[in-house]
Amino acid sequence: MLFFSLFVDGFANLGNFKVIASNSAALLMLSCGMGVVIISRGLDLSIVAAMVAGAATFGILTVAGWSVFPAFVVTVLAVLAIGVFNGWLIAYVEIPGMLTTLASAMVITGFFRYEVLNGEYLLMLPSDSRAVQLLSGDAPAILAVLVFIASWLILRYTTMGRVTYALGDNAAAARLSGLPVRLTTLGIYAFAALTALFAGLVVAAASSTVDFRIVTNGSLLFEAILVVVLGGIPLRGGRGGMRNILVGLALIAVLRNGMTLLNLTTQTQDMFKGVVLLIAIVIDNYINPRDTENDTVGDL
Amino acid sequence: MAGPAPFPMRPTDGNNVNNSIKFNSLTRYKVPRLVLSPRRIFSDILSKGWVESAIPLLGFLAVVITIALTTDSYFSGSNMRILALYGADTGLVILALLIVVAVGGLDLSVGSSLAMSAFVALYGFHILELPVLLVLVMSVASGAAVGVVNGVLAGFMGCGALLTTLGTMITVRGLFTLASQAKLVEISLSARSDDLWDWVGFAQFMTLPVVFWVLACVALLTFFMFRQSRFGWHILAVGGNRKAARNGGIGVKKTIFSAYVLAGAIVGLAGFIYAARQNSIAADTGIGLEFFALTALVVGLGGFVPGRGAVVSVLLGFATIYFMNNVLVNSGFRGDFVQLVMGSVIIVILAIDVRFRKNRHRLLAATYLDPVALKLPPVQNMTGLMPSDLAPKLAEATVLGSGEIDGPEDVILDAGGNLYCGTRDGRIMRLAAPDFTEITVLAKIGGRPLGLAFDAAGDLIVCVAGMGLVRVGLNGDVELLSDQTERSLVQVQDDTSIRMGDDLDIAPDGTIYFTDATKRYDMENWGLDLLEGRPNGRLLSYDPKTKKTRTVCDNLIFPNGVCLTHDGKHLLVASTWTCSILIFDLADLAAGPRVFMSGLAGYPDNINRASDGGYWIALAGMRNPVVDLAMKLPALRLRMSKQVPPTDWLFGNLNIGGVLKVNGTGDIKDALWDRASGPLYMITSMREHKGALYLGGVNNNKIGRLDLPGADPDWTGPNRYRKES
Repeated sequence: MLFFSLFVDGFANLGNFKVIASNSAALLMLSCGMGVVIISRGLDLSIVAAMVAGAATFGILTVAGWSVFPAFVVTVLAVLAIGVFNGWLIAYVEIPGMLTTLASAMVITGFFRYEVLNGEYLLMLPSDSRAVQLLSGDAPAILAVLVFIASWLILRYTTMGRVTYALGDNAAAARLSGLPVRLTTLGIYAFAALTALFAGLVVAAASSTVDFRIVTNGSLLFEAILVVVLGGIPLRGGRGGMRNILVGLALIAVLRNGMTLLNLTTQTQDMFKGVVLLIAIVIDNYINPRDTENDTVGDL
Repeated sequence: MAGPAPFPMRPTDGNNVNNSIKFNSLTRYKVPRLVLSPRRIFSDILSKGWVESAIPLLGFLAVVITIALTTDSYFSGSNMRILALYGADTGLVILALLIVVAVGGLDLSVGSSLAMSAFVALYGFHILELPVLLVLVMSVASGAAVGVVNGVLAGFMGCGALLTTLGTMITVRGLFTLASQAKLVEISLSARSDDLWDWVGFAQFMTLPVVFWVLACVALLTFFMFRQSRFGWHILAVGGNRKAARNGGIGVKKTIFSAYVLAGAIVGLAGFIYAARQNSIAADTGIGLEFFALTALVVGLGGFVPGRGAVVSVLLGFATIYFMNNVLVNSGFRGDFVQLVMGSVIIVILAIDVRFRKNRHRLLAATYLDPVALKLPPVQNMTGLMPSDLAPKLAEATVLGSGEIDGPEDVILDAGGNLYCGTRDGRIMRLAAPDFTEITVLAKIGGRPLGLAFDAAGDLIVCVAGMGLVRVGLNGDVELLSDQTERSLVQVQDDTSIRMGDDLDIAPDGTIYFTDATKRYDMENWGLDLLEGRPNGRLLSYDPKTKKTRTVCDNLIFPNGVCLTHDGKHLLVASTWTCSILIFDLADLAAGPRVFMSGLAGYPDNINRASDGGYWIALAGMRNPVVDLAMKLPALRLRMSKQVPPTDWLFGNLNIGGVLKVNGTGDIKDALWDRASGPLYMITSMREHKGALYLGGVNNNKIGRLDLPGADPDWTGPNRYRKES
């Protein structure tokens, strides 16, 4: 951050910080969901797919003339169904979470593009649609803060949150001591899908489009993981909290903004983000060493 | 022995002509040639290692048949050639992914790496104008370089493979996009052509594209690497269990690193092939390839399984997915639909795989027991001889070696009168004559020693459950004579191993006849074989001259005791669950057995010759009407085995048993019962020796000795036997 303040013109001013904050709203919400999943020692690779799926559902319903509230309820239900399906495959069918979400991301994207968008990548939303108007201005930032606080409260004060930590620490011990690990897993992935929905709404409203290419190009997913890992939540789970997300988000947002101000192309930015991710993994591995000898299939 | 109650013995009539057996007038016993049961076949298949690879094969066949039925000339030569041309690079990528998954990792960077090495190849060929072989080296090196990064991070540093390769995936993709944007125009403007380059890209060799042969060669090499090479074995060991691999002295980190580099190099080769074929690259080259490869791998392996290098299965999985994908696209489905199908296929296969893996042993346990109706003839020729009619004579037996021997299933005496028996922990004990108080270990052989016999050289031949046939010299030398026989032709399960060698006897020509009581259960679970009531056992012979073991008669119902008749021409075999004694003609074994005795009152175990020309038959337990009825009702027994705890199962009465005395033609002359309160119970063997009967029991911790007033006081088993032969 210091680097960018000193060497990049226009970095260190209030207007730029405001831009950083509003650009980061979606990423913050995604990272909250991803953070909770990672704390439970899982990984949700379908989070971006759920995000665009949710935004697309809401967009289509509002364009089709539904009023905002019922459309929103239906969307929430649809997204919860995605999350619960993921959680069910992981907790009850016992497929490793990484593989489940890898495949379910394909299914979700494929389904929406095939059934809903008829093969298109983009869903255009009219800029006068209620959804776009609702989520303009300061609304994204407020929504992000609400999601953040909700995540913090859940992790800190609810049974589900405490079980999440227990799961990440030692899933077998948690199960043996009688904690509702399966139900909690269901809840965790449903929650992640829900945060993804809000993120999707904010992104869709900002650009008036729902773009399915962000699923395949994948950089948003990596950014969400990057925020979590950079913030210091170990991929082994069981530790960390919402303040780590904030730290990670600050780092990545500043990086993103700084690189944009340096006039780097998207490809160069992607490359740098990849390198930063690799470095973050190495550091994470150094700070939170893993006992790879006891790894199972899911712990890739 | 204090005041034995005298009981009538037949006069000694060893070589009495009246006692000779009229084999041909006995009833034939029908031995099933083939035991076919859907349940058994299912459980046998389920317990096979290849059952997991069978699923991808079935999937492949299903896809091929569906395509053949729904399309015209899809499998024509020209279409196959096109598919082989376009599928070779993907096939290579899948092999690379297989190597990484086999070592316990994952490589998501294959798509980016392929694009990058394809770019390197085109750059080297068109812009640097290098010779084709050097271009090939450059491509492979480019792929290997990505592999090195992955290997250092995931192997040496132990970072998570998924995120590491995710990181290299975006980084390399970014590099590729930058590089290709800068050079794409220049590459497409180049007009350089080269025979070798075109030969790789387009030529055919033996009617198939050259690139296909490249794939075939790499597949063959990978196959032999996993099968034959030390490195391949190390990969599988590390993927199977890292800790065990390290404890076994394998350099785990080095192996993981090398696997990533090797996989990277193969991806580089794939990139070269791609470049030679396409002669161009696009922004989306290799995008989504990792998911396609992962799908093929998951389909081929039937799940995500580290530590398996199943090259053929994976290529089958690849062909399945490739055909499916190709046909879907050909018939007008869009990429998004294909994506939907692929994702669903992965989820379904993973779900089946995970559940199958988790519940396979349960399914196996639930289907393994396979009862069948077994109808027993009623108890015959026991009037006045049942336990209720007679005093329990075995209650009078003296006890030898009490508490010092555990489980003497069989007992035998040598010519000098020393007593031998096997024990539960796999030792052969010797109780020295004359008072049997000096007990020493003759040999430790392991397994569960059961039947005993002396051969002509005076060595002890032992049937050992879990091992086979063992010779123990009286100086303590142990030699394994036989542990397997011929494999039966129509069996899913390999039944060559002798699972439960039970009892034996030695013919005058030296051939050892012995029984393998059941091929399906171990010594600890012999009781389940009764619940099954199927012909699971077999009579075997071992010829010491040729050292060959052969199956004399398969599909017998728990063949247990074996005894040569006094004339040395016939063989008695106890069939325990049918409560009958079968007889074989040694001159014509192929004719099959006939029934020597049937309708016994209990379950016969060992049989031995008596001094008077008759035989002793041990009854380990008694029949009762409830079990006899249950034997007729297989469904009842199956339900019982599933719903009732084993301690409450219906079973034969093992509280009372004893010894039957029969004459040379199988008429029951006397019965020596034990008492429920002991001292002996579950009598499994007895030997007559110098006017006394020595009694062993598989669960006893002692040997009984019962004086036989009126028996020939000089008769010993080995002496008598050798005199005749």
